[in-house]
Amino acid sequence: MTGEQRLAVWREVRDSSSNELDQQRRQALSPNAVDGAHAATGDLSASAMEVVHRTASDPGRLTRAWADEHISELGEETYTELVGVTSIVSVLDRFDRAMGRPEQPLPQPTGGEPARVRPDDVGDIGAWVSQTTGPTKANVSRTLSLVPVTNQAWRQLVDTHYSHGAEFMNLRWEFPLSRPQAELVATRSTALNECFY
Amino acid sequence: MSGEANGLIVDLKAAIERDYVGDVGVPADAELLAFTNAVELDQGDIDATRAALADVIGGQATLEAAAIIAIFNGLVRVADGTGIQLDQGVFTASIEERDLLGINEFAGAANSTDVVAVDANVKAVHELFG
Repeated sequence: MTGEQRLAVWREVRDSSSNELDQQRRQALSPNAVDGAHAATGDLSASAMEVVHRTASDPGRLTRAWADEHISELGEETYTELVGVTSIVSVLDRFDRAMGRPEQPLPQPTGGEPARVRPDDVGDIGAWVSQTTGPTKANVSRTLSLVPVTNQAWRQLVDTHYSHGAEFMNLRWEFPLSRPQAELVATRSTALNECFY
Repeated sequence: MSGEANGLIVDLKAAIERDYVGDVGVPADAELLAFTNAVELDQGDIDATRAALADVIGGQATLEAAAIIAIFNGLVRVADGTGIQLDQGVFTASIEERDLLGINEFAGAANSTDVVAVDANVKAVHELFG
């Protein structure tokens, strides 16, 4: 995606917290029970809009059939990038919210073409999109490996916010927030988001 | 795992109980859970719960807690959005816990229906972000 499209994703993620259709879907027994769809914008197709809004507002109830429909429409690389950018900006905005800071103004997009790099070592490992096939990493570590530029930004964010590089192996790390305290916050956050993984 | 390594007995069931805010066996547990719920659910005032947490664990640790709440908002989205399966070792190690804690009821469990339990040493959380 271009820089302008990625910023459009950020705008839509922000919109999703108050978007009427997203709220109706969240409150419904099944999101499929709610009529309506997000319309295309100048930067994002209707399918891209659906991916961003559903991933932002109701990630715990995404299904393979839903994903397959949008992967077919968008291609798995763009689908993965949409999920990745949605996730990254969700982290940035949630951190500001937690710290009582105002929403940051969106940056200016830079020019240039998308990298369009597809790694050689990706394939089917049982996820909805192709991912790195190497045996050494856990599945959560390779979610965005299909799109290296987004993956690099994502991995850096995870390291800064949580895993602290090699210290992640240390269950008795000596950061101000102890490891059990960190895991308690992580556990509650994932439970509230109903994340099986 | 980190609870055991730090000599704590952690009540995991209470830790994932949506509305519970109180003792789960971790220092500052009630304040951490109140802050997390305020940020995630608008359940309580974010500024007040953050200040209460900072009084107990300090400003830097509170910032780290906010960072973890934030990153897990992304982690659940990349995991659920790309439909990853539970790793075989974690799947095997967590059979009892997932059943006990009701985690198998989460919609995302459907992604791991063809993962099979293995008789292998579990590395679990140590390698998740390797």
